[in-house]
Amino acid sequence: MSGQPNVLEKVIAFVDERVGLKTLQAKMLNEPVPGGSRWAYIFGSVLLFIFIMQAVTGILLMFYYVPSADHAYASTQYIIHEVDYGWFLLSYHFWGSSAMVVMVFAHMSQVFLWGAYKSPREMIWLVGLALFGIVMGFGFTGYLLPWDQRAYWATTVGVEIMDKTPIVGDFMARFLKGGATPGQMTLSRFFVIHVMILPATLMGLAGLHIFLFRKAGPAGPFRGTPDELKAKTDYFFPRQIWKDMVAMGAVFAAICSLAFIEPVVLLEEATPDPGEYHPEPEWYFLFLFQLLRLKIFSGEFGQFLGAIAIPGAFMALLAALPFIDRSPERNIFKRPVALIGWIVVMAAILIFTVSAIINREFLD
Amino acid sequence: MTDQPTQMSPVKLGLAVAWPAFWTGMPIKIVLALLLLAMGQHPWEFPGLAFLLLLSIPVDIWAVGLSGRTVLLERLGVEPPASLGLTLWWQGAALYATYGSLACFLERQTIAGSKAVVARILDLELLKTIPIAERISIELTAWGSIAAVVLLALALGGLFLFGKLVQRQADAASPAAASYEARVYQWDLMRVPADQPLMLTVFTAVGVSMVLMLWAFMPVTTPHPHESYKQDEKKAAPVLKPTEALQKAERVLTQAETSVQALEEKARKNKGKAPEKKAAAKPKKA
Repeated sequence: MSGQPNVLEKVIAFVDERVGLKTLQAKMLNEPVPGGSRWAYIFGSVLLFIFIMQAVTGILLMFYYVPSADHAYASTQYIIHEVDYGWFLLSYHFWGSSAMVVMVFAHMSQVFLWGAYKSPREMIWLVGLALFGIVMGFGFTGYLLPWDQRAYWATTVGVEIMDKTPIVGDFMARFLKGGATPGQMTLSRFFVIHVMILPATLMGLAGLHIFLFRKAGPAGPFRGTPDELKAKTDYFFPRQIWKDMVAMGAVFAAICSLAFIEPVVLLEEATPDPGEYHPEPEWYFLFLFQLLRLKIFSGEFGQFLGAIAIPGAFMALLAALPFIDRSPERNIFKRPVALIGWIVVMAAILIFTVSAIINREFLD
Repeated sequence: MTDQPTQMSPVKLGLAVAWPAFWTGMPIKIVLALLLLAMGQHPWEFPGLAFLLLLSIPVDIWAVGLSGRTVLLERLGVEPPASLGLTLWWQGAALYATYGSLACFLERQTIAGSKAVVARILDLELLKTIPIAERISIELTAWGSIAAVVLLALALGGLFLFGKLVQRQADAASPAAASYEARVYQWDLMRVPADQPLMLTVFTAVGVSMVLMLWAFMPVTTPHPHESYKQDEKKAAPVLKPTEALQKAERVLTQAETSVQALEEKARKNKGKAPEKKAAAKPKKA
């Protein structure tokens, strides 16, 4: 009797025979992690978790949201005021997008500081940069959907900045707006990009990112003798999975807390007259917005320089980084240029973001 | 291969214990704060804050003990004392109450002082032409840099003092006899509970309970309604009185029965008259 497999074991054996479940499971969980599991490795898994939660909350919101200029605002208000727990779902989705941006920055910083972009992991870094762009695209397109004054004017400012891109800028701005001013066509296009094109692209690229990561294997810590690393080497399951799960739980609780502390409250419905409202993009674009207020970036050429040329050059530098920095040294304390560069960029983003917040007092 | 207590600076030692301890306790504290928020209590206002601080004590004792034991065994090669968590916690709490308060006061004074000095410099006639956006960033960078340097120095001072507390514990501890590999194994066993299925079951049960509590406490509709939004007026359903409803139904049925009977009576009468009428109406053939 004890030698006979039960029903569950039979089902598992049936599926395993056809799908190779056990091989897949072994491949997924038995990945060696040089130097053992670490909290520094949680960011990728947490990003995947946030994306799944964004997809779930986004689908639930779509049951009620109407993507038309006549009904977008009213349906969002309906979600907030009438749908059971609708206010929480929308606020979770809103703060989830900010958490995704923060986590992307943290993940990229960790990879940069640990020198994990170096050979043979250049492709992982490049795909990661594309994913960073997609996350920013999610934030930009999702911001318009509630169709209030904040959404309308942030999008207007964003599209105007995009218009300054040479060659393709005019086409991209006209394509996104679908008319002279943001209206139904803009909302439809942003909605389709937000709920169809970007999720599909992100899923494809995230799959490629994970595949490339598994192919090259984890880089491991940048310090420690081979003996120390060998003594501490562990498998992905259970230690790293445990750390990932704890981090996911903490991030989930943090997003929920933010949804309680600062739930989404809409401004007035979008109109082509800004009235008292001072247009401003989402907080993670504020540093760029403040940069464009500097006198050096005034005028047509200055705006192009601040909005397109400098961020474009910075992104190009990031893309070229693994091919420029070919030294095998990964210890950040032995790479002073990289360390100082990272501190300067982070400090500049922080200073200009806080400056933009202080600048609000001087707008009236 | 390992840093001996004498070779590891107090700052490094303090950081090696305090940094992981902070992150170890953080997830539990966030969950507690979330539950307070769901119950409508702000974790930074009086009743909520007191509740959170009280619940944080055992969490912090556990977290500082866990990271302290790891550092003592793995990096310093000494056997961690049994009461390490509790000792480091109360000593750390006393340090925070004294040095932390002083550091907060000094940092606040530095920010206020540097802000005033920078504003006075930028108010000079020579610099008054600086546009507002530039002025904001220059001011922020200037006083922010001074405040950051002082904050860093104060943080290093705090870590130095905390590191001294850890070092005292390490100096009093007996050396771990095993090799590095064996110590890593011992450290592993210390962190992983003996009964893992029990731990996973408890963890899952606590997680599920927390989620259920969250949904139970959470308000169904928004706690911040929009000022211009008109809530749907829900018409109250009429109250059903069973006896009256039954009597009304009986009356309707009786009326219906009477009407049917009257109609049947009429139909019967009409049936009797019909042939005469037919005959009267039939034209005679010539």
